[in-house]
Amino acid sequence: MMLLLELFWSFVKIGFTSFGGLSMIPLISSEMISHGWMTASEVSDIVAIAEMTPGPLGLNCATFAGMRAAGLAGAFVANMGALAPTFTLCAVAAVFFEHFRNSKRLMQIMIGVRPACVGMVAGVVIELAMVNYADLAGNVHVPSLVLGLVNLLLLVKFKVSIPKVLLFSAVVGIILFGVMELG
Amino acid sequence: MLAKLYIQFLKFGCFTFGGGWSIVAQMKELYVNHDHTLTDEELLDLTSIGRSLPGTMIGNIAMFYGHRMSGFWGGAACVFGMITVPMLVLIIITSFYTAFQSNIWVASAMKGVRTAVAPVILSALMGMIKSAFKVPPCYIVAGAMFVLYFFFRVNCVWLVVIGAVLGLCICEYYERVKHHDAAA
Repeated sequence: MMLLLELFWSFVKIGFTSFGGLSMIPLISSEMISHGWMTASEVSDIVAIAEMTPGPLGLNCATFAGMRAAGLAGAFVANMGALAPTFTLCAVAAVFFEHFRNSKRLMQIMIGVRPACVGMVAGVVIELAMVNYADLAGNVHVPSLVLGLVNLLLLVKFKVSIPKVLLFSAVVGIILFGVMELG
Repeated sequence: MLAKLYIQFLKFGCFTFGGGWSIVAQMKELYVNHDHTLTDEELLDLTSIGRSLPGTMIGNIAMFYGHRMSGFWGGAACVFGMITVPMLVLIIITSFYTAFQSNIWVASAMKGVRTAVAPVILSALMGMIKSAFKVPPCYIVAGAMFVLYFFFRVNCVWLVVIGAVLGLCICEYYERVKHHDAAA
């Protein structure tokens, strides 16, 4: 029971401080790792899995983390936590929709919140990169780093879609880390 | 009515890969072009407000639309409809992931996939930059929040709150400068 409450509270915090997709990742990462619900590489896995499956990233992370931490009940509770702002703030906003439509304050707040999210997400990219491109001893793992750079090129330069890039890296991963290391 | 909203959003929920924009496109197709329950402009308003409130953008949009059609429970029906399929899919995947995590082939596939995660986030971040930096001080906010997050381990909740306060301050400053210039 305590676990479910903790899980719910974590995702309430995550929900209320996220403004669209990616901005959830920094808090998810710090909440999951500090509670011991996931390791840093599992955080990467969930971002990848969430990108490949339907549904918003934040809720997919909630399902994954909830399942890992406390099974089905955990998944449900984490989703409800992440949706808390939708059921409270947003429901109220719906009533006063016309006011919100032209809210100057909301716009002004977003002028500061959006760059703040960019800063945090930049931080989390570096954190994840430090784990994903390193071997167990903490040294740079060159094949991973090269594959990462290829992926960046595919995404930014050649505009390949995210699911395709993820599929591509899975296949290369099997060849590079499975076949080669077995042989 | 509730059942109809639930089923409509159940369908939207099946096809929401990579961010919430596909659901907006589907809503446009059904509600604006076909049912005429929304105009283009109203959909745009729903989207922009849903996006600037905390939480999941498409959850918020679903709540707004459902609320419009049938009050709070209409909103709840839309939200639950939207999350049903993704949640089931992910519950199944998570079970498999947990069971096969240590399998050599799954592990090496995941190891490959992990190399794509930082680039994926980075490329999405580049997309955010345009709308995030409206005025020059925004760059300072982003830089400062990065340092606080990465080096000082400040909790994200505080960083968002600080960002909100700074947003108000920045706008206040620009208003005053404008007034000052107008007076002079």
